[in-house]
Amino acid sequence: MSKLSFRARALDAAKPLPIYRGKDMPDLNDCVSINRAVPQMPTGMEKEEESEHHLQRAISAQQVFREKKESMVIPVPEAESNVNYYNRLYKGEFKQPKQFIHIQPFNLDNEQPDYDMDSEDETLLNRLNRKMEIKPLQFEIMIDRLEKASSNQLVTLQEAKLLLNEDDYLIKAVYDYWVRKRKNCRGPSLIPQIKQEKRDGSTNNDPYVAFRRRTEKMQTRKNRKNDEASYEKMLKLRREFSRAITILEMIKRREKTKRELLHLTLEVVEKRYHLGDYGGEILNEVKINRSEKELYATPATLHNGNHHKVQECKTKHPHHLSLKEEASDVVRQKKKYPKKPKAEALITSQQPTPETLPVINKSDIKQYDFHSSDEDEFPQVPSPVSEPEEENDPDGPCAFRRRAGCQYYAPRLDQANHSFENSELADLDKLRYRHCLTTLTVPRRCIGFARRRIGRGGRVIMDRISTEHDPVLKQIDPEMLNGFSSSSQTIDFSSNFTRTNASNKHCENRLSLSEILSNIRSCRLQCFQPRLLNLQDSDSEECTSRKSGQTVNNKRVSAASVALLNTSKNGISVTGGITEEQFQTHQQQLVQMQRQQLAQLQQKQQSQHSSQQTHPKAQGSSTSDCMSKTLDSASAHFAASAVVSAPVPSRSEVAKEQNTGHNNINGVVQPSGTSKTLYSTNMALSSSPGISAVQLVRTVGHTTTNHLIPALCTSSPQTLPMNNSCLTNAVHLNNVSVVSPVNVHINTRTSAPSPTALKLATVAASMDRVPKVTPSSAISSIARENHEPERLGLNGIAETTVAMEVT
Amino acid sequence: MAEVVSPVPGAGRREPGEVGRTRGPPVADPGAALSPQGEIIEGCRLPVLRRNQDNEDEWPLAEILSVKDISGRKLFYVHYIDFNKRLDEWVTHERLDLKKIQFPKKEAKTPTKNGLPGSRPGSPEREVPASAQASGKTLPIPVQITLRFNLPKEREAIPGGEPDQPLSSSSCLQPNHRSTKRKVEVVSPATPVPSETAPASVFPQNGSARRAVAAQPGRKRKSNCLGTDEDSQDSSDGIPSAPRMTGSLVSDRSHDDIVTRMKNIECIELGRHRLKPWYFSPYPQELTTLPVLYLCEFCLKYGRSLKCLQRHLTKCDLRHPPGNEIYRKGTISFFEIDGRKNKSYSQNLCLLAKCFLDHKTLYYDTDPFLFYVMTEYDCKGFHIVGYFSKEKESTEDYNVACILTLPPYQRRGYGKLLIEFSYELSKVEGKTGTPEKPLSDLGLLSYRSYWSQTILEILMGLKSESGERPQITINEISEITSIKKEDVISTLQYLNLINYYKGQYILTLSEDIVDGHERAMLKRLLRIDSKCLHFTPKDWSKRGKW
Repeated sequence: MSKLSFRARALDAAKPLPIYRGKDMPDLNDCVSINRAVPQMPTGMEKEEESEHHLQRAISAQQVFREKKESMVIPVPEAESNVNYYNRLYKGEFKQPKQFIHIQPFNLDNEQPDYDMDSEDETLLNRLNRKMEIKPLQFEIMIDRLEKASSNQLVTLQEAKLLLNEDDYLIKAVYDYWVRKRKNCRGPSLIPQIKQEKRDGSTNNDPYVAFRRRTEKMQTRKNRKNDEASYEKMLKLRREFSRAITILEMIKRREKTKRELLHLTLEVVEKRYHLGDYGGEILNEVKINRSEKELYATPATLHNGNHHKVQECKTKHPHHLSLKEEASDVVRQKKKYPKKPKAEALITSQQPTPETLPVINKSDIKQYDFHSSDEDEFPQVPSPVSEPEEENDPDGPCAFRRRAGCQYYAPRLDQANHSFENSELADLDKLRYRHCLTTLTVPRRCIGFARRRIGRGGRVIMDRISTEHDPVLKQIDPEMLNGFSSSSQTIDFSSNFTRTNASNKHCENRLSLSEILSNIRSCRLQCFQPRLLNLQDSDSEECTSRKSGQTVNNKRVSAASVALLNTSKNGISVTGGITEEQFQTHQQQLVQMQRQQLAQLQQKQQSQHSSQQTHPKAQGSSTSDCMSKTLDSASAHFAASAVVSAPVPSRSEVAKEQNTGHNNINGVVQPSGTSKTLYSTNMALSSSPGISAVQLVRTVGHTTTNHLIPALCTSSPQTLPMNNSCLTNAVHLNNVSVVSPVNVHINTRTSAPSPTALKLATVAASMDRVPKVTPSSAISSIARENHEPERLGLNGIAETTVAMEVT
Repeated sequence: MAEVVSPVPGAGRREPGEVGRTRGPPVADPGAALSPQGEIIEGCRLPVLRRNQDNEDEWPLAEILSVKDISGRKLFYVHYIDFNKRLDEWVTHERLDLKKIQFPKKEAKTPTKNGLPGSRPGSPEREVPASAQASGKTLPIPVQITLRFNLPKEREAIPGGEPDQPLSSSSCLQPNHRSTKRKVEVVSPATPVPSETAPASVFPQNGSARRAVAAQPGRKRKSNCLGTDEDSQDSSDGIPSAPRMTGSLVSDRSHDDIVTRMKNIECIELGRHRLKPWYFSPYPQELTTLPVLYLCEFCLKYGRSLKCLQRHLTKCDLRHPPGNEIYRKGTISFFEIDGRKNKSYSQNLCLLAKCFLDHKTLYYDTDPFLFYVMTEYDCKGFHIVGYFSKEKESTEDYNVACILTLPPYQRRGYGKLLIEFSYELSKVEGKTGTPEKPLSDLGLLSYRSYWSQTILEILMGLKSESGERPQITINEISEITSIKKEDVISTLQYLNLINYYKGQYILTLSEDIVDGHERAMLKRLLRIDSKCLHFTPKDWSKRGKW
């Protein structure tokens, strides 16, 4: 082979190979020994097995004989095909269908039990069948269920009874048998199953564990970008689903509570019926004793309908009295006066007294008119359009809804006057009908006879009553009451209202204006008017600061309020007083500005400077300018509150006004009071857990700039029931707002997406630990902070969502 | 031998903890250690009587893999050296030729087989003292175990059992296997496992020997398969990395242990047939003690008893594999089953197939596989004859993962039919394919036979055009047959068809090749008719999941 010393070319799979056959074949001797040029292909077997005796024998036999020889095959263990009972076992015949067999995907899962009876079971069955009939399949289903319900622990007999829909005796028999059999069973289950892998990896080596799940997805191609996007989407989906779950759970809870309430009420009614308590006297008696509980229970029951809060928030306009009020007055009465006012003492002290009871009783009567969840259709962000609708259909969102836990009396309009006449009586029943002459701060006017009561969540609602004196009363200028407004009666509770306690007794018949005035002056007639909330006791921790006493520590108050304003990120620190006109102007500006929000960004800095000016007018406008940036969001609300709370430094002026008792506008929106409110709100936001996040969102969404305050305020009574000052602030603000529904439409326009409000609120909440920033530093920081409320607020959503209970 | 370890300097260590376990009376286990025949223990080699296909008695050398005692009668699980594992069996001591017994010896190691584990256990090289091993404690086979006189002096010399000095296995070997006091040395395995066997990892405590033993992932071996509790302990110690997730076969024996080396099912009844399993299969463990495991012929569900099967058949109305029929000619049909959509059938099929496929792994679920079940129809239904599985997406051009003709149907052409069908599918897909490796002995023979016949068929079918010599490229063969190029070449080589002549490669078809082929083709009656195939390949890569 010396001539073949050259190296053969590599085998080219693409090169044609000529085929030589038979006699054409060249002498193979010429061809040999170039095999190295053709790489020897591996057999694909494991080396060690390749050398096995029988294989080698078979291979060589094939090489030699070119076909298999019987004796040279690889021996294998024998198999028999002589199962003689086959035909008995597999009964019947199966005709081959003409068409190819095509299985339906879900045909395979028939509901047959996996457990197959064995002969032992058959013995039992035969025994049992002497007493009762039990089919093998029935037995198998029972065992199957028992097996599948048991994991490591066997199900108990009790569980078994629940599991098996059979005769008790049968269950017992089968259960006992099963337990016995299971104990003797070697395997983990009577239904033999492949061992499952365990998560801890302890079974990684177990040869009996099979069909492990492939933990890592087999990556056949990579599409990272896509993956990321879908991952995000999945996350979002997950979040949304969990939100939906939360909501549904809340609804479930609410509906459950409703049902419970219904049952309880039914029970009460039944009991009352049996007692013959048709007039509610017994109930009242009982309630008197339990009044304390009642009062606290009230807000809790209000969880029932979230939308309640929304509505009520909408009607809260602390700073403005509606000009259109009269127009909608009649209708409104229906929705706004579900409850009788409470005595102020009750409101402020939060001490439940018997007087509150009738209120509750009254509303209780129609309590069965439950609202269901599908009433929850209030838009999150109120559109201007919705406002007129509400006006036209005042019962719409503000419609009176029976409150759970309340007793409602039938309207007693006929007794209206009567109640006045008898208001002197200490009679509890009568007391609740007591209406007082009431004056509002914004707009400054007298609204006639009204009574205050605490609404849900501590908002104060003014129930107005029409009397024959109305025309006269309308003429009353709050200024006229100046002299005697800030009577001492309200001093002990930090009410925004000064309660002028005149004698309850006033003329039954028409009185002249002067008569009324004189009555008031002589304290024969009670007259309420908002009173400047005086200085708050802000030196101690926020929550303990209780009430505003007199306007004593002006400087401190202003400092505190400014600090609070800062912390609440409204970015406006307004110093100086504010008048009603200013405020109204401001309102309009707010509305305007919302339309041009971003355009006015530039003015912010300037306005902040100007906001520190003491000149009221300038301040008002500049404040508005300030807010231009954040107006689209809830910061507008804060801005409004800031404006409202602005006049801190101009304490003297405020004080003066307060003294006069007429310019009580600032009383409502009194700086310390407001900041206090915010403050407590913050507290509420941060402290109160619960579901009402949604409510808050909605509330804020619905309410306007000014509404935020009451909305937030409403949280305070519940979350901080001890904080009387806050409470009263809230109460009074609400009080006013109820009476001034006109602003709704204005405010609605200025209202903004709620989340931002939430953020801001949260920020405020998170920041409220620095209340004692000096005014100057606070102000200086405003500019900076004003830029970043959004950013700061972002982190707050989570906390905010649990924060507020608006009830 | 695979199990013989080349000592890695520094890796060897003495495990004092082992002393307590292995030491003791030489007759620790009456079942093995002191039988009347002497000490027949795991690892012993001796001729064992068996009857070959020609019904002749022969005495091939065999190794004792396990010893069990059933009502006072000892049974020995023997593996015949150089025979396939499928012939391993339990024998009584009458079949053992004790005169020629070889005890496990270090010296017997044949270094050529180092690190090449195979189906044969080949553990006699383990240096295990008879008495020590007889205790039934687990010692990993791939771990070299040496003996020492377990003298107190020596123990003092190495207090606390710190890692021993590098230990050459032969140097430590003590010729006296009968010494009553011994120390067992665990030496690093052939394939060093980085973490635990590294010198840095120290076993300072007594009793850590077991950990060292178990530290070789998947290498835990039991000398006594009955000690099941031991097993669980071991498995928690050394957690091997999970096997790769593609494919269906394992080539390395890293996950092999004494349990999986031994058949665990005695007999399977499937329809008319009673099958003797060839290999381990992870049927529920409680079923492995049954004399017969009863399978539903159609859904392959396993049951404890004939009664169970009977009851099952009242509920199971399947008369064919639960898939779509994609081929039918005569009585032969093929059904396609999606391993993800029909898990229970796929798993049952895999369990059954594992009884006859040594390298098949059931480690992972069946999701990425399609199962093509070949059936033969009679009036009772479509009886399973064999099957092959196929990855929905193969990264390595595999067109078959596992392939099996059930033993009753073997050697009747069904295997080739299955193979042919698998290539028909590849033709429809327009791909070439190859079976997943490693091939078994029977697999190699079957595939070689199929490839040879298919290629020869093509070569002989080529007509010379215009008097010129017919020619064909390897690529063309591959394209026509869907046989992967490498397999074409290897077949041409195997058949000695390819030669180098006058500066070029030629294919030569000798007379005996042609004759042999024609004879074989006469016998090959079962063929796939591609016209009867109704198959639309799915592009699994375009689906999110298989």
